Amino acid sequence: MAELFTKYFPNVVYQGWGGDGGWLPAIGQTLYMTFWSAIFGGILGLIFGIGLVLTDSDGILPNRGTFSFFDKVVSFFRAIPFIILLAFIAPVTQKIVGTQIGTTAALVPLSLGVFPFYARQVQVALASVDHGIIEAAQSLGATFSDIIFDVYLREARSELIRVTTVTLISLIGLTAMAGAIGAGGLGNMAIAYGYNRFANDTTFIATLLVLIFVLLVQLIGDFLARILNHKNS
Amino acid sequence: MKVMGCSRMTEKIIELDNISVTFKQKDQTIEAVKNVSLDINKGDVYGIVGYSGAGKSTLVRVINLLQKPSSGKAVINGDVFYENIDGHEKIIEINKLRKKRRKIGMIFQHFNLLNEQTVVQNVAFALKHSSLKEKEITKKSLDLLKLVGLEERANAYPSQLSGGQQQRVAIARALANDPEILISDEGTSALDPKNTIQILDLLKRLNNELGLTVVLITHEMEAVKRIADRVAVMENGEIIETGNLLDIFVHAKHKLTREFVGTESGSAKALATLKAAKLVQLDSDQECIQLTYIGSSVSESLIVKLYKDFDIIASIIYGNIEILQETPVGALFVIVKGSAENREKAITFLKEQDIIVTKVEAGEIFNG
Repeated sequence: MAELFTKYFPNVVYQGWGGDGGWLPAIGQTLYMTFWSAIFGGILGLIFGIGLVLTDSDGILPNRGTFSFFDKVVSFFRAIPFIILLAFIAPVTQKIVGTQIGTTAALVPLSLGVFPFYARQVQVALASVDHGIIEAAQSLGATFSDIIFDVYLREARSELIRVTTVTLISLIGLTAMAGAIGAGGLGNMAIAYGYNRFANDTTFIATLLVLIFVLLVQLIGDFLARILNHKNS
Repeated sequence: MKVMGCSRMTEKIIELDNISVTFKQKDQTIEAVKNVSLDINKGDVYGIVGYSGAGKSTLVRVINLLQKPSSGKAVINGDVFYENIDGHEKIIEINKLRKKRRKIGMIFQHFNLLNEQTVVQNVAFALKHSSLKEKEITKKSLDLLKLVGLEERANAYPSQLSGGQQQRVAIARALANDPEILISDEGTSALDPKNTIQILDLLKRLNNELGLTVVLITHEMEAVKRIADRVAVMENGEIIETGNLLDIFVHAKHKLTREFVGTESGSAKALATLKAAKLVQLDSDQECIQLTYIGSSVSESLIVKLYKDFDIIASIIYGNIEILQETPVGALFVIVKGSAENREKAITFLKEQDIIVTKVEAGEIFNG
């Protein structure tokens, strides 16, 4: 079995498990980038998404100025292609992380790249909460924080998990591009060690690993979304 | 107001004075409520009826300020919620409003329960800011569920309940903070007839047992007929008629009111049936009249009396009795035959017996 693998996937074996260009660091880098930029981008996206829903004209704190600010920022960052964003915000990355290259440096553009996408998804998810339920909560004397946490976030939680899954998957896609600034990861493995060196087997295995990763995220997301939904059981 | 002896009975709990609500949409302004003044007494079941779009829901949302009016004055249970008399707007402070809102329960057409929380959690949600401890909150929530007959479904989710059960949960939730007012905004409109009756009877029971003032918004006259003491009829943002239930039914002044009362009462159906069947042909010495009476004042002897004293032959073509506020209200359609003079005399006689006589024009029945 091992011999067969070595025969058909010589470059994969050549890369080795550890060390520079090894599989384990590549997997680790992808997980690291996905996790932390999901946290930072996620928090930012949630804040903007909630802000958009609350300050919209039919929200509970309608405010045209604030809404327009959130809206413009989200639209602006969404409009920049990610590969350009990497270069565009390099000076900012330098300020925050102290370097423009490497895995940690990639977290800044990744977070900024994913948050506007997430913010829009959160906005749509929260807007799906029936306005009547919010009105009922208001009629019971609920405070703003009750309405945000007990009504919006809780009622939309299944929908939020669904959009989080979608966002995570697209974030995994973005991490592949972060290889361009030396962030490593499976995307970099597929391009730098696979494609550029005509090592198709390496590209294939790197892709397969990304695919498994995406599939796992999707499965877990779907499962959570299903068990946390009591709307139409 | 000066009669101190009755002050308790006629204590006003909701005072809306000259309330207007306008919505601005791009270029046009829509006047959803126009200069409405409405007083509701403590302990009343007050029905507000009208077709959809009449402004009922908008008006009733002014009571707990879910809808901010554009002008007028709203005083709820002695607190000025809103005042704008000459362009100077005064609104109750938001934290105070939240506390006051807890004393005004509200139920909705589509129940509006929290779908991701269980039945008991839904009720407990209303008590989140009460002074009760967590255990007491759970206990009170369960007690309220018992009151509406749903304690066994405490741990179910709303989607597992029928519409009628969901509305009961909504009622339990609305009652959690021991409100003095309960607003039902089309609360029975999404329910089947059996559940509608159960919910209405529950509201009436709460009205009787807890002294709860109930404001019932509906387009179904049947609901108002079943439990309301007083009624207001709304059309195009205005209240066109108010009165106690019996008066509205028997002495409706406005055409729309009669239409509303009529659509639900048997007499309209009877007219329609007669019209469709073309059963009766009126000769020149005949006319069709409708007799409406309260109580049981009409008996067959009247028919005999009409014949004996006025030489009038009266044949009943349709009769119906409804019970409103525990009082029978009857309607008879009668064809009277006799000379024009005698018919006039007979009608005068009937009117003297406190019977309301309405001439039914031949066209109303026979040419449709």
